[in-house]
Amino acid sequence: MSSAKPPAPDPKRFEVSKRTLMLDRAMTQLIRIGGLAVIIAVFGIFFFIVREILPLFSGAQVEAEEVVSTPGGDVQILGVDEWGEHPFLYRGGDEVVFIDMVSGERSVLDVPSLKDVEVTASSFDPVHRRVAVGLADGRVGSFLVVYQTEFSEDGTRTIVPTIETEPWFTVSTGEGKVTALSYGDGGDKRLLMVARDQGLAALRLGKKRALIGKPKLTLQGTVDLTESMTSGVVSVTASQNGQAGLVSGADGQVRYFQESGGEVTLVQTFEPFHGAPPVRMDYLFGGVSVALTDAAGDQKVFSLFRPEGSNQRLFGETKEFPGIGTGAPVFAPSLRNKSFLTGAGGQLSVRHLTSGAVRWEGFAEFEPVAATIDGKTEHFFIVGHEGQVQRFSLKDPHPEAGWRAFFGKVWYEGGSEPVFQWQSTGGSDDFEPKLSLIPLIVGSLKGTFYALLFSLPIALLAAVFSAAFLPHDMKRVVKPAMEIMASLPSVVLGFLAGIWLAPIIEDKVPSILLVCLSLPLSAMLVGVIWSRQPIQVRGRFEGGREWMVMVPVVLLIGWLAWMAGPLLEKAVFIYKEPESGREIADFRLWWPQATGLSFDQRNSLVVGFMMGFAVIPVIFTIAEDALSNVPKTLTAASAALGASRWQVVRTVIIPVASPGIFSALMIGFGRAVGETMIVVMATGNTPVTEWNIFSGMRTLSANIAVELPEAAPGSTHYRTLFLGALVLFMLTFILNSVAEVMRQRLREKNKLV
Amino acid sequence: MPAKPSNFASTGRSRRGEPFVWLTAAGLAIGVLLTVGLLGLVVTKGLESFWPGRIEVWKVDREGTLETVAGYVVQERSRRAMDGSAHEEIQIFRGNGELYGEKFLYVDQAQIQETQQPEDLALIERLEGGLVIGRIQSIQLHDGATVEGTSSDFRKQLTQRIREASDRRDQLEDIEKDRIGRNAKEVKELRLKEKLSGTSPEITARLEALQTEFAQLDEQRTEIRQELEADHLVVESIDGRPLSLPVGELLHVFRPNEVGFFGRIGEMLRRIGSFLISDPREANTEGGVYPAIFGTVVMTLVMSLFVTPFGVIAAIYLREYAKQGPLVRAVRISVNNLAGVPSIVFGVFGLAFFIYFVGGVVDDWFFPTSEEPVFKSGGILWASLTLALLTVPVVIVATEEALAAVPRGVREAALACGASKWQAIQRVVLPASLPGILTGVILAMARGAGEVAPLMLVGVVKSAPDLPIDGTAPFIHAERQFMHLGFHIYDLGFQSPDSEAAKPMVFATTLLLITIVVVMNLSAIIIRNRLRKKYATSSF
Repeated sequence: MSSAKPPAPDPKRFEVSKRTLMLDRAMTQLIRIGGLAVIIAVFGIFFFIVREILPLFSGAQVEAEEVVSTPGGDVQILGVDEWGEHPFLYRGGDEVVFIDMVSGERSVLDVPSLKDVEVTASSFDPVHRRVAVGLADGRVGSFLVVYQTEFSEDGTRTIVPTIETEPWFTVSTGEGKVTALSYGDGGDKRLLMVARDQGLAALRLGKKRALIGKPKLTLQGTVDLTESMTSGVVSVTASQNGQAGLVSGADGQVRYFQESGGEVTLVQTFEPFHGAPPVRMDYLFGGVSVALTDAAGDQKVFSLFRPEGSNQRLFGETKEFPGIGTGAPVFAPSLRNKSFLTGAGGQLSVRHLTSGAVRWEGFAEFEPVAATIDGKTEHFFIVGHEGQVQRFSLKDPHPEAGWRAFFGKVWYEGGSEPVFQWQSTGGSDDFEPKLSLIPLIVGSLKGTFYALLFSLPIALLAAVFSAAFLPHDMKRVVKPAMEIMASLPSVVLGFLAGIWLAPIIEDKVPSILLVCLSLPLSAMLVGVIWSRQPIQVRGRFEGGREWMVMVPVVLLIGWLAWMAGPLLEKAVFIYKEPESGREIADFRLWWPQATGLSFDQRNSLVVGFMMGFAVIPVIFTIAEDALSNVPKTLTAASAALGASRWQVVRTVIIPVASPGIFSALMIGFGRAVGETMIVVMATGNTPVTEWNIFSGMRTLSANIAVELPEAAPGSTHYRTLFLGALVLFMLTFILNSVAEVMRQRLREKNKLV
Repeated sequence: MPAKPSNFASTGRSRRGEPFVWLTAAGLAIGVLLTVGLLGLVVTKGLESFWPGRIEVWKVDREGTLETVAGYVVQERSRRAMDGSAHEEIQIFRGNGELYGEKFLYVDQAQIQETQQPEDLALIERLEGGLVIGRIQSIQLHDGATVEGTSSDFRKQLTQRIREASDRRDQLEDIEKDRIGRNAKEVKELRLKEKLSGTSPEITARLEALQTEFAQLDEQRTEIRQELEADHLVVESIDGRPLSLPVGELLHVFRPNEVGFFGRIGEMLRRIGSFLISDPREANTEGGVYPAIFGTVVMTLVMSLFVTPFGVIAAIYLREYAKQGPLVRAVRISVNNLAGVPSIVFGVFGLAFFIYFVGGVVDDWFFPTSEEPVFKSGGILWASLTLALLTVPVVIVATEEALAAVPRGVREAALACGASKWQAIQRVVLPASLPGILTGVILAMARGAGEVAPLMLVGVVKSAPDLPIDGTAPFIHAERQFMHLGFHIYDLGFQSPDSEAAKPMVFATTLLLITIVVVMNLSAIIIRNRLRKKYATSSF
């Protein structure tokens, strides 16, 4: 026997191979970086969406540029071309000065018709770039500044201004010089409002087709409005459609005149500022609203709408803006949206009509006497007493946005009161998007409410039975079955709701009512009958199989109730035809008559029912988990103390698991709020703010699905849809987080017990 | 004093609160019934749309005139007339769109005089115009000859001709899509080259060669088209009106009333087969859903290619590498909650980030010359990525659970044997948690396959003529728009001009989609249960 000496241990035996170490380090780094990157990427969603939304809540950005001075003061009118490059000044003489903002050069164009006349009043219409002038001898006329744009071959743009004059018209009524005038150009119909030292007149102009050449502008009639006034005229303005005009008097009254059939009549008199006359009255883009400014700098907007009970459109106050400062007010409407530039005494602000918001506020280096905005609303210009002209670049891509527009009641043009409304696209160019998210949020909550109304009782009852009474071997089948229901694609549910379910239950509402009532009652009745049986009978039946007994009972009672529906309809839901007095038993007709609410085929009932399918398994699974995890020790103790099996459930299991049940409810809520396809397919998608179960709704999610593919990237509409997505995101995320935290607390609590 | 026995009556199987127990039982019963009912509805309606029913012939008395109608009953309904009287009506599909205009007809059951099922009625499927129901009379050949329907080998000849027509259509498609398409593409490239770097003799020569090739192809195409329209099948409708159908457009002729049960089963299988492998026709209301299946499968696979590694890496990081503390707990809860964020939100993100932002950058860098957006529009890649984001929480949560389920002892044993941390994960932890990870991936795929709302924003369309993977270079077209089963259902059910005719297709597609999703979910559940059992027995 020889004991072999063990070989000397390798000194490197505890060393790890370099490859293993390197691999380990590399993988550690890789997983760290990868894991963090994935998590950051997932949360990046939130920040990216916020980034898209932020521009909605920022105001206008205005940057002042160099002041260009021109010799001579007394500028009356300032106008500009579409690109904001060639502003022009008019001083009341016979020449118009143009400034090229690119090169800084000045050029002068003569207005031949203005030679040797004395101009006493002028006004400017930025839409047509028309300068209307009134003379000392009572004549009125106008000229247009026309910019011709030429593109050379290399794409540079040259703008050549020209002047087109229009004929003179003599105001046949009144006396003295023209003190104020306004030219409303509606194409074929035009109205010139003229105030003289004594007298007020409206001149109707029209285009007559000549045999040769262009149609000729002629005076079609002069209406003397002096009688309507009780005091001197402060300012006049004619509407852009050439069919109406506003005149403010020294007594503070504003008179609204309307042209129809050759007559100009006084329609309305109102007093915007309690005695102080508006010194400026300017129509805003669209010609429905007028901004009124008094000498103290107060500013209000009056819009045309039909007051309740009237069929005539009259002016009413819709917005009051903060003061614009003291001094001679300047005003310039945007030609693109409802924004306008206003200010007085050096103070300037950009405001937006619909949202009633001040988008930007600042001070000019000098006191402006006139202002204008270019056609694209990308620049505005002001001119001072000494003829100094300054250009400002204006960046305000989302003037109609803001908290108030999204979440507040907004008084839209033409409406008779402030409303919550969502209507993002419309037919005409001057359509005002209505972007209140409230109807969509209400729609989301409405759908969710009806879904939970249907699903919550079923899911919770099923969860209680499954957790407390169901034998283990059955649970292994029932639970996965419910989970599979959770995986049904919502497009399938939506399709079934819209195509299959909606037509079936449309005329079966009484049946549904009966089914909903009779099922729980019959179940409890079975329970009562069962518990009256002697213990010998009950003992033969193993507990936990009650639900199988209930399957045929539910089917039978459900079928009976379904069939009995028409009987109930005949007994209760009788519609009386108003004319003939004929009685028809039809719920669909009865409901609108009895409640004044509408009845749609694709309504909240259908949505609630089908969305319930999507929510039942979610609530069931989570609630069942919570109920099952109640420690056995607790239930056993309770039973040992003599509680019946329902008493155990009611006094021990449900209270202990209640946070879990609550979290199930919230997760179900989250699922229903965000559900998209079912709502898109099973409702009419009309935005409403009422809770009628038989009308449809438009939810945040459905709205995004329907409108986002058509929204232009970067537009206010597009970003507002993102805001809707963020609201959904936050809502579900917060709900789920609260639910998750509650669930974890519950788990820990049960662990301790 | 001995207690009265009644004092004990409330113990054990007491009757107190028993009605509520039964109420909860009813809740479960209703829940199960709803699930089973819904699945049953989809299955029956779906299979019904494949089942070849008998063609019936009704003699209907309509205000005195006797009308003969042949077709299938689609549904029965009761209608209340204006005068309050109730009418039982059946809706009949009678096909022959060009004869009747409306393919569907409501008939008052009280007006039906007689019902028959004549054996010789045929149901003819064709490329355009919908189904034809009628009696086959003859085939009129282009040379003026006629093959009478009574001749003994008529059916053989008809089948033969339909098969030939099908071959010709394949040829035609090959010429139109493949060869002419390739030709046009090369011409376009050459023209661009000419524009950029001036013309050269080679280019001119090649262009001329391409032109001659195109002329040849065009000639071939016209020839085949003429051949397809040469022969006609003459059919007489039930009310005696003749119909002449070009044989080149016929797909299948079937006489449902002369076959027995097994013949019907065979026909049903044939219909299922053609539903699965053929392209849609007639604004998707007929034909098959092959492109939609293909799009769904490719999208789901690409999605899982992204979601699996990233989800698993994130989960390993969270569970094995990150320092456990309140921050990681918060991250875990948040990831969990992301699974509950509405899918449309992910669609919104996908549209803004992938399409407009990333797609815009890709287009600027790689396709500056292209006039149309390449990647800056919805496509299968962006859709897959969006769904990957949507489903990554599912994979992370499932993987984390699986990793946590690996017993501590196993892990410690591996480390004690000298394994490095990565070795322990790679050799011990990951293999043990593989079924769990697989469950997560399958669940993610099932969710991805069934989602529609986000896809509507990122590239799914009602009809995509080109598949995202095909024979033209570079073979994988990640920027292409695609079709999807779920969107197909939405589009057919709600955007289709002829929603009545589309119904069978929608139910069939629904059945297919549900089958896919349920099978995926079931396999996930089975794998999960296996996994649980494994660890239940082998835990330390």
